[in-house]
Amino acid sequence: MQDQRPNRAGKSLGGRALAYVLMVVVTALWGAPILWMLVTSIKPESEIYAYPPAWIPDQPTLEAYGALFQRFPMLTWFRNSAVVGILTTVLTLAVDALAAYPLARMQFPGRRVIMGVIFATFLLPYELLFVPLFLGLNSYGLVDSIFSLTVPASANAFGVFLLTQFFQAVPRELEDAAVMDGCSRFGFFWRILLPLTKPGLATVAIFTFVASWNNFFWPLIATNSDETRTLPVGLATLVGGAGMSMKQSVLMASAVVATLPTAIFFLALQRHFVRGIAATGIKG
Amino acid sequence: MTSLATQPAGRSRARRASAQEGGAVRSGMTLAAYLFLSPYLALFIAFMLLPTLAAIGISFMRWDILGTPEFIGLDNYRQIFADPLFLTAIKNTFYFVFLTAIPMVVLGLALAMLLDQKLKGTAFVRTVVFLPYVVMVSTVGILWGWLFDKGTGLVNYYLTTIGIEPVAWLKDPHWSMPALAITTIWWTVNTNMIIFLAALQDIPEELHDAATLDGAGPWQRFVYITLPLLRPAMALVTALTIINGWRVFGQAYVMTQGGPEASTFVIVQYIYLAAFQNFEMGPAAAAGVVLLLITLVFSLAQMKLMKAI
Repeated sequence: MQDQRPNRAGKSLGGRALAYVLMVVVTALWGAPILWMLVTSIKPESEIYAYPPAWIPDQPTLEAYGALFQRFPMLTWFRNSAVVGILTTVLTLAVDALAAYPLARMQFPGRRVIMGVIFATFLLPYELLFVPLFLGLNSYGLVDSIFSLTVPASANAFGVFLLTQFFQAVPRELEDAAVMDGCSRFGFFWRILLPLTKPGLATVAIFTFVASWNNFFWPLIATNSDETRTLPVGLATLVGGAGMSMKQSVLMASAVVATLPTAIFFLALQRHFVRGIAATGIKG
Repeated sequence: MTSLATQPAGRSRARRASAQEGGAVRSGMTLAAYLFLSPYLALFIAFMLLPTLAAIGISFMRWDILGTPEFIGLDNYRQIFADPLFLTAIKNTFYFVFLTAIPMVVLGLALAMLLDQKLKGTAFVRTVVFLPYVVMVSTVGILWGWLFDKGTGLVNYYLTTIGIEPVAWLKDPHWSMPALAITTIWWTVNTNMIIFLAALQDIPEELHDAATLDGAGPWQRFVYITLPLLRPAMALVTALTIINGWRVFGQAYVMTQGGPEASTFVIVQYIYLAAFQNFEMGPAAAAGVVLLLITLVFSLAQMKLMKAI
């Protein structure tokens, strides 16, 4: 997102003015909801429904955050999401990198078929899998466990796809030389290939974590207690039934808490997000 | 590490060795390749391939969570297509795809073109547009659920200030789906924007310069240079938008729970309801297979269409 392109359209003053007007409109439309969420979360009860809406709170307060953490097991949900996110990321990185190495750099029978099958899953509506997955995990007593939230998600086509591209870019000569010097294939993979492709690994890690953090439908099915429930599923209970009377400031505080980790991640590592999406266009 | 590669001795030794070994190396390589692939393939088979086949199998069976499964042919499919709620779900999901597909592609491209210019502030605006990407669906639902509130929501407030009558949005069956579509566009158009941005940046600057010298205006350059060169990106964006549209669920579940009057009840919610509230696995699996077939047909039709253009 940092790079600047040479000017194409709007070289004229009028064109540039129009572009700036549009940019202000776009910023307002996309930024306002996020800003409103932040502002409301620090408003005292008396100001939430002020008319006309106030964008700057008179007396900012953190009481909504206090109420949120007091009334809901936020810390447990937060911890579950973090554990599930980190485990899924580590497992996906390991499995996907190991798979991408031969696909990128070895000739062997079955390679094309495997590539084709893996990439066909890009077009698969995963919702199809949830009934058999649930039944299968249920028969082993694994529903409502960390296992059901991490392991099934780890055979990730996106990671293989992206890492294959990164691994292919490493020069052949490097591998030949390393093998000549007595390096095993795994040694080359571990000590040379992985360190050289850190940006690719970082991109896969970030995407996997954000996708896991935001994952909704499968955890909704696969969890039924606060012990394993993740943030998205927990937060959804705030608006259904019991949460109807919830103050908007508390709801918005929940939104801020849930978004903070991924937002910080994103602002610090924008480059990786952009590269990942540009490569495959996967929505987390 | 790079110094290794630049040693001529190392390189020629490697070439000689690989030429001499031949067949033995190849079979060793096959073994090594499958060893590296084995963890992925094991997970892929267990959690992707087998469940896909199982879903198709279950769709032909009677399977309540208790009791033994029993083969019943096409009965589950007959049952869901006789269920008015399933037909409503298909109709609603199609309406959602219809409402989101064109704006998501057109707006995605428009935003990319606006923010591809060499102007101060584009990086900032890109960041702002991209930020919703990291917001989880429950939060998107909670936030926009309030923005669309009839009495206290910002949407109606600002519409009123420009003289538009307030509507009940999520409480009005006519406006609930458009409201979900607007929310979804705000949330996910950034993905399409990024894909288009990457594609725009691959277009050589010289093409535009040459066309300008030949007297082509901005519109002609857009139609005859930009659009044709964007075709692969356009195909990808359209396919993803349509497939993701058919898979919509979270927004509807959190913002409207499928209501009012089932006006936002979608196919995935039908699967959820059948399988995990009514515990009828057969019809749920059948609905899943129907969803798979619909997305397949749309992907193929879209590919054909892109080729034809």
